[in-house]
Amino acid sequence: MGQTKSQFTDEELQDYEDLTFFSKKEILLAHKKFKSLAPEKVGHNKNAKLSMSKILQYPELRVNPFGDRICKVFSSSEDGDMTFEDFLDMMNVFSDACPKKLKAEYAFRIWDFDGDDMLGVSDLKQVIERLCGPENKLDDCDMKEIIHCILAEADFDDDGALSFPEFEHVTDKSRDFLNSFRIRL
Amino acid sequence: MSDISKNKQKTKRTNGWEEAGCEFYQENYCADWDGFAKNPIAITTLLPSKQNRLGTSKRNYTQLDRKQKICWQQFPSTTQRNYQQNDGQFSLLPDLSQVINDEEHIWEEMFQIKQLPLAMHQKKEFKLDLQNATKLRLQGFNQLKWKHRKAWQKIALEWTKFSTIIKLWQSSLKDIEGHFGSGVAAYFIFLRWLFYLNCVTFLLIIIFVIIPNIMTYEKYDKCKVTQNLNRSNNCLTQDIDRKTYLDLKSGGSFNLLDIVQGTGALEISLMFYGGYSNNTVGIAFKDTLNSTYNENQHSFYYDLSSAYIFAVLGYFTTTLIFIVKASAREFKDRLINGRWQFYQYCNLAFGGWDFCIHNEKSSVIKHKAVFNEFKSSIHSKRIETERNNRSNDYMLKLIMIRIIINISVVLTLILSAYVIFLLFNMSLNQGHGKFITINYEEVNSFDTVNVEKPISLQLLELFFDFAPYICIVFLNLLLPAFFKYLCSFEKYSPLFVIKISLIRMIFLRLASLFILLSRFYYIVIPNSDTLIRKSVPYNCWETFVGQQFYKLVLTDFFSHLFVTFCFNLPRAILAIYFNNNFVKFTCEQEFELSKHALDIVYLQTICWIGSFYMPFLPALIIGIMFLMFYIKKFQCLINSRPTKILYGTSRSNSLFMSVLLISFIVSVIVLTYAFAEVSPSTSCGPFKELKTVWDAPLSTFMRMPIFVKDFVFFFGTPAFVIPCFFILILLLYYFYAVSDANKNMVEVLKNQLVLEGHDKKFLLTRLLLTHQDTQE
Repeated sequence: MGQTKSQFTDEELQDYEDLTFFSKKEILLAHKKFKSLAPEKVGHNKNAKLSMSKILQYPELRVNPFGDRICKVFSSSEDGDMTFEDFLDMMNVFSDACPKKLKAEYAFRIWDFDGDDMLGVSDLKQVIERLCGPENKLDDCDMKEIIHCILAEADFDDDGALSFPEFEHVTDKSRDFLNSFRIRL
Repeated sequence: MSDISKNKQKTKRTNGWEEAGCEFYQENYCADWDGFAKNPIAITTLLPSKQNRLGTSKRNYTQLDRKQKICWQQFPSTTQRNYQQNDGQFSLLPDLSQVINDEEHIWEEMFQIKQLPLAMHQKKEFKLDLQNATKLRLQGFNQLKWKHRKAWQKIALEWTKFSTIIKLWQSSLKDIEGHFGSGVAAYFIFLRWLFYLNCVTFLLIIIFVIIPNIMTYEKYDKCKVTQNLNRSNNCLTQDIDRKTYLDLKSGGSFNLLDIVQGTGALEISLMFYGGYSNNTVGIAFKDTLNSTYNENQHSFYYDLSSAYIFAVLGYFTTTLIFIVKASAREFKDRLINGRWQFYQYCNLAFGGWDFCIHNEKSSVIKHKAVFNEFKSSIHSKRIETERNNRSNDYMLKLIMIRIIINISVVLTLILSAYVIFLLFNMSLNQGHGKFITINYEEVNSFDTVNVEKPISLQLLELFFDFAPYICIVFLNLLLPAFFKYLCSFEKYSPLFVIKISLIRMIFLRLASLFILLSRFYYIVIPNSDTLIRKSVPYNCWETFVGQQFYKLVLTDFFSHLFVTFCFNLPRAILAIYFNNNFVKFTCEQEFELSKHALDIVYLQTICWIGSFYMPFLPALIIGIMFLMFYIKKFQCLINSRPTKILYGTSRSNSLFMSVLLISFIVSVIVLTYAFAEVSPSTSCGPFKELKTVWDAPLSTFMRMPIFVKDFVFFFGTPAFVIPCFFILILLLYYFYAVSDANKNMVEVLKNQLVLEGHDKKFLLTRLLLTHQDTQE
């Protein structure tokens, strides 16, 4: 613990505490976890940039079907590589204390594969495909029907895609979203 | 282009900042015209609705951008426009356009930074900006108010930090979540919640009942020695009897059997109802003896019997508040047009994956589960239409099967109830009945010689003592499997199967409890066993009932221990090492949430009913809940495989809460009846001189000052009831009308949204076309 502590000054910790939903102790814990991904590199430079493949070794991200998307969204260089601050940002969003709105915002970015700021049919298709995993293939007919159902439920303005307000509305009503979009530190 | 902006301006004129945003959009739009020419689809990202959002994807926030995003939250629109006009030099100049804010404002903003979807380094910059910003000092009252708020904020923060420390089992929960997903973890959180609930409620009992009783315990005995002669003569003989009985009990050897059965010294201790006194303790008096009966109106007194009943009432009220608070959201969401069902597919797509899963194997199963869920929801949607087309013959057969199965379930329930009834009778006659009479005779003849019984007899007694409980527990274990087997013939949808088997299991458990209670009732009601009652001078049926609950809880707990470690564990090991179909079928286990939830709720129900007769039962339950967490964790992580059924958190939470609520209502009904109808035993406990338990609070009420009484009686008069009734009906109608109007409004707005969407699409395509025309 002492060694970890020495990597941060009090001011830095205070900054992190003010800017995230974590306490100082949790921030140090987060750093410990970050460090365990690449002990030498992070030991050398506490804010070292780790490549996406390294970050994806974090247990929850490794099995997550959207792991690569999460890395890309939170990466400050937008290529999936993450510094500790990016990592902290990520854990912050996935923490329990994080408000729904912020979670929805990032979830939207994660699932917006093509980056057009709408969850279109192709985005939804990818989401469902990844959710079902590589072994389980839905046939086209089922897929179309599911997407149709999702859009029927959530696409209020009938433009064939979910905009952010629509998405936020859905996540607001679905309690499972808040509970599942969460990684314990 | 002007079409669009006009349109937007028309609709958005009402809102100040949106109007400004619109102008901003206009400017930006002109500037981006070239960009649009290259990539026509990009036009959608320029729509005002997109601009106003806090963070749109992929966009890297520039200094300017960020200021604007923050600004729309906090500043009136006029300041926003200033930014655009000098955006060239903006980053170089100090922020003069900004209104200088006071400390409180800055402080608030500081808290809002963390809610912004920005990367850390941007947040840091923003924090630095805020720190360096010139701010006005608050004066006078405002300063005070702000300090007050700051202090509160700090306390809240400290509390959240503290609560993370006292939260038990965090790492266990993470582990369970990682393997089984959030639905199963919700079960463990529910267990933890019950644990806390019991802690809080038991604290109530400790403070108001147990501590005052301990403090007055010594004095109470002295009172009995210096008998109050002018009280009543039957008190005299009874007290002597009681005293001998107590001496006998506390003098006797204290062994393991006593602990298990709740007899011996435990029986007369504060653990059971019988150990409590009905004294009234006056604080202002030195001699508490006199204050017991000289109800001096001017002194402060503490009536132990009233305290007892009020503590129990408080216990139930607190519990109810906790339950209602925990399930309020659940019920609200379910009541309003069943929205949960409404967003079935979205819920699955956006909440289907548990981000907390960190285990390779369970992720594969999770994929499978989500896939199955998608499949089955599509499938059930399709067969919904086909269901009506089922052939008559088939339907007839199915209905017949269902009727037969339901009848057999009811028969099984009745049969098992009868078995429990028989066993209980037997145990009463053979074991406990003898046991009681022996003791009572000893007491009667003041024969204090301790009769040594041979070990075999003791063991036999123990067996008869526990026979009904073992039977109950055994039935609880066996019948659910049987019901599950029956259910497979009924061809219900999987979700309904869970529900119906849960209902059957609840009935089973309630039936066994009910038989138990009815047996108690027959023992307790004087006219059924008049003989015993007359021959027994010291008879405390409440303590007896408390002992029975104590034994039931212990049996239940040990059965869980036994089943988990001696039955399920070997099965799990077999399932791992033998790759045989039969072994796989019999030995592989899934963590059935409904069953395990019922286990916990059952314990809790016993606790609720029994807490009146055994005030220490909640303490016992606290301990057991604590151990149960580990037992269930073991069962979950080591014995079971992940389930193929997708348990969402919401689904499992509503399941737990509804089961808990049912059992709460049942236990309240049972206890209310016991309070109001059954007369408490005459020689022990806090209510020994009263006809029913309700008399205690009633007499306390009668002792209150006259105006309080008048005030309360006023609620019963027509002058209050009739207007109140009318007002309530009017209110009801008002809220009904409001909700109706709101429903209409929702419909209208939804339609309007669709229309707007169509308009937008139409206009965008028109725009594209005109643009192409101009290009050509």
